Amino acid sequence: MSVTTLGRIAAPARASRRAGQRARRRARLTEAVAMMFGVLLIVWTVLPIYNMVMVSLEAHSDVFTDAIWPPHPSVASFWIVVTEGYWYLEYFWHQFGNSLYVGAAVTFLTLLIASLASFSIGRMRIRYGWLVSNAALLTYVIPASFLAIPFYRIMQNYGLANNLWSVIAAEVTFATPYGIFIFSQYGRSIPIELDESARMDGATPMQIYFHIYLPMLAPALVAVGTYALLLAWNEYLYQFLLLSSKRSMTVPVALAQFLNSDEAPWNYMMATAIVYALPPLAIYYLFRGRMTAGLTMGGVKG
Amino acid sequence: MGNLSRRAVIRASVQLAAAGALSRPYIANAANTTASAWWVQGFAQEEDVAFRQVVEDYQKASGNTIDYSIIPYAPERQKIVSAITSGDVPDLFTANPAEIVALYAWQGKLVDVGDVVETQKSQFSETALLSAQCYNSVTKRRGTYGVPFTGAVLPIHVWKSLVEKAGYKIEDIPKTWDPCWDFFKDVQKKLRAQGARNVYGQGLQVTANGVDPNNTFHYFLIAYGGQDIVTKDGLLHVDDPKVRAAVIKALTYPTTSLKQGFVPPSAVNWNDADDNNAFHSKLIVMDLDGTISTEVAIIKDQEDYNDIVTMGLPLSNEGQPVPSQLTVVNALIPVGAKNVAVAKDFLKYFIQPKVNNEWLKVGLGRNIPVMPQIVKDDPWWFADPHRKAYTTQGVIGSTVPAYWAFNPAYSQVQTEHVWSTAWNDILNNGMTADAAADKAFARIKEIFAKYPIVQS
Amino acid sequence: MSSTSVLEFAPSAIRQRITTWRHLRGGLKGSEYAWAIAFLVPYVGVFLAFVVYPAVYGLWMGSEASLYSELFSDPIYQSTVVNTVLFLGIAVNLKMFCALLLSGFFMRRGWWVKALLMIYVLPWAVPALPTFISIHWMLNGEWGLINNAIYQIFHIDGPAWLDSRWFALGSAIYSHIWKWMPFWTVILLAGRMAIPQDLYDAAKVDGATGWRQFVHINLPLIANLYLICTLLSTIFSLGDFNSVFFVTGGGPANSTHVLATLGIRDAFDLAQPRLGVAAVMSALPLVIPLVIILMRKLKTAEVQL
Repeated sequence: MSVTTLGRIAAPARASRRAGQRARRRARLTEAVAMMFGVLLIVWTVLPIYNMVMVSLEAHSDVFTDAIWPPHPSVASFWIVVTEGYWYLEYFWHQFGNSLYVGAAVTFLTLLIASLASFSIGRMRIRYGWLVSNAALLTYVIPASFLAIPFYRIMQNYGLANNLWSVIAAEVTFATPYGIFIFSQYGRSIPIELDESARMDGATPMQIYFHIYLPMLAPALVAVGTYALLLAWNEYLYQFLLLSSKRSMTVPVALAQFLNSDEAPWNYMMATAIVYALPPLAIYYLFRGRMTAGLTMGGVKG
Repeated sequence: MGNLSRRAVIRASVQLAAAGALSRPYIANAANTTASAWWVQGFAQEEDVAFRQVVEDYQKASGNTIDYSIIPYAPERQKIVSAITSGDVPDLFTANPAEIVALYAWQGKLVDVGDVVETQKSQFSETALLSAQCYNSVTKRRGTYGVPFTGAVLPIHVWKSLVEKAGYKIEDIPKTWDPCWDFFKDVQKKLRAQGARNVYGQGLQVTANGVDPNNTFHYFLIAYGGQDIVTKDGLLHVDDPKVRAAVIKALTYPTTSLKQGFVPPSAVNWNDADDNNAFHSKLIVMDLDGTISTEVAIIKDQEDYNDIVTMGLPLSNEGQPVPSQLTVVNALIPVGAKNVAVAKDFLKYFIQPKVNNEWLKVGLGRNIPVMPQIVKDDPWWFADPHRKAYTTQGVIGSTVPAYWAFNPAYSQVQTEHVWSTAWNDILNNGMTADAAADKAFARIKEIFAKYPIVQS
Repeated sequence: MSSTSVLEFAPSAIRQRITTWRHLRGGLKGSEYAWAIAFLVPYVGVFLAFVVYPAVYGLWMGSEASLYSELFSDPIYQSTVVNTVLFLGIAVNLKMFCALLLSGFFMRRGWWVKALLMIYVLPWAVPALPTFISIHWMLNGEWGLINNAIYQIFHIDGPAWLDSRWFALGSAIYSHIWKWMPFWTVILLAGRMAIPQDLYDAAKVDGATGWRQFVHINLPLIANLYLICTLLSTIFSLGDFNSVFFVTGGGPANSTHVLATLGIRDAFDLAQPRLGVAAVMSALPLVIPLVIILMRKLKTAEVQL
């Protein structure tokens, strides 16, 4: 082969190599910028939480000083919380159990009621079903704070005063419309042919619901379940209003006790809040993959 | 506050049982019936223990049952409002906030409890009795709608170590009004000169959150001679030049202090706890704040506890004693209560001086009695320096009732924070004290117009 | 026997009634219809017992005309309305827009992006009360974390975040965005992930990358979801009590109240629950059109391709 031929073959290779180098440099640059942005995002997200952690690690007299770092960090506050060593925390584990109970009940009932409703509206296409799903949305028109006093009165009427079930009812009411919304959006990606062929094979609606609809809805179930759990876990106004005794209280109400007077061991309060925040974080971590899939409106193409 | 020691609990039970044994004459021979009660959770665990003991002893002595719930402060407020609105009321509850006795009495929603108060009438201070005599717009008469059982005033809390660090002694604090507050400006200047960046001399709550801003304003108002802004008959006197002058001074002093840098700027938006937070962290040298919860909260830290000096109010600029406005807390029986008789019976038991005294003492004396003879008979109230100062100010010293007792309209003036708004107008909206005062007067007149009291 | 054969023999009046009835059922036959109703009953029951009944009771509470004249004569009502409009307008739109941009960011590949997402959703997962109190402390002008940090790094005094109306309102808006942006980011992220990879690949073959990809592929598909989320978020945010109450307390001097906090203050602080209901109801003229638009959008929404 002559030198010129070699040169003519090598030139395009060199050009593409240079283009590749440029692209890689650009990619590395954008990646670096992205990482810097990531750091900023972490600072943005973590600041208030850092403040909480800082207070929880400080001794009572160190809170509200000039420090941006806890001067004498200690986990004494966490120990107090876990051993129920303070007056307001007397029933902490019992209240934690109440929160778990409420969270589990709200999640389960929301998923059940919302999936049944969206099955009826979206799959069985009941006439005027859209009326129900629109009416569900109206729940959000009325802000929760507006409904607080009527709710209190009504729970008295239903005999549910100071009962965890009054809170469960309130939160299911607020979580379900969102569930119906997500399930109907998600459900559009489940082919209706599946239902119809099952029906032709003689399946009852209940069987279609259990064996076809629910399994295919799984990611959306996780998404809505997480939403409902977090709503119940962190909801405050209704739990505050409807639960009054130490034994029936949930942790958010117990936390609010710290605001009872103008004095409080804030380090204990923040430690309590952090302990309380761990379960939903754990659940989010476990289910995050499914959760994103579930929120995907179009579903995953087979 | 750690767990209550067994010894303390046993001591409490014995004392309260003894009190119960001595009080038989007042216990009705009532049939075995139950009354429901909502009681506000105390600021310290001991207060709840004390209440539980009282109930137990009452139940044993009378055979009645009190089905009580101890509810934290803010939820109890909400529950009371919801209950009165919906008609589903307990048989008795604590006035939370204190001024609802006037509001609900006006609306005819409370049962007249004059017969209960009558049993101890000679024991109650005049301020306490006046605080329970509220106007009922339905019957168009005043009646006794609350049973007073405790009260609160605002003492001055001072860090002795900070005063000394500035080179002064507590005894150096001037005895008259303006000079007393000005003293702390000097303390701040000296401390700042030593390099402390974030220390402020005066902890004056010029915010619009909580009850203490109203109290702070009133204390200054009364010191400057404006006590008669609302008189016993419920009439408003904002057109009185003496009142007007006092209002303008009360609006001017704290705001000028803040503008000069002697009050933390964030005071304009403190929530209820922020002044305590600032004080505990030694970021303010003194705090004008209700009750001695500031001290009781750190009772375990002996060094700091002894470092705080609790003082009553200085004399007015003219050298006259300044009466402290006493916020009296009443127990209320709502209309619609199912068992008024037992509720009344319990309250009669509760306000017996011996029972009341024991209840207050087990509660660490954070609440003071509204019956002066109690503290005159019991030296415990003067044993601890903080308690001594607080008791002297709130029980022995001269006190005046809150203005809402005279006219329920004033409770709205307080909850709307009309005076705090005036402070804010001066600080943030550039108004002069005169203009802010006029604006406040206009609003107060509007509010008072809704509550016409027929003079008998 | 099929249903149509029955109809052939029925007189016209009955035929009319049967077709109407079947029309109502939407083509569902017999027992299936019973199932459909049965499946719907739980939600309808919940709705009637816990939405309609309280709402009607609440509406009855707020139905006196005199309440509204009292409400409008409250000196802080006007500023509250202004605050609410500003709060909704700025907080919701800034939050959604940033959520949209961040959803694009989180589409990047890399383990650190996934880890970042985990941290990023913390505000949603942590309970509101203590975090907002933490923000209240953090923003204190004299001894809050932010100003302490500013002083230690720059040796100047930071601004007073909570002491004047506009700064305080800004702080409340910040708190709201901080808390809720992660939630909407995840929703929009899911929406983006629903866009099939084939579309991206096809576009790349045609030479469209980066910005053009965003405009021609992402935008049209995301637009509808974005609009729905914005409407929904506006409605939710109208009831957001926590962000304002615990961070600014409505202050200074009640200048940063929004309708949600005003309602609670009127109901419980002024002990006038009906006035509180009226305060919240006065937002209805704003809310109802939003809900109508939302319902229309959802009916026609086809986010799937």
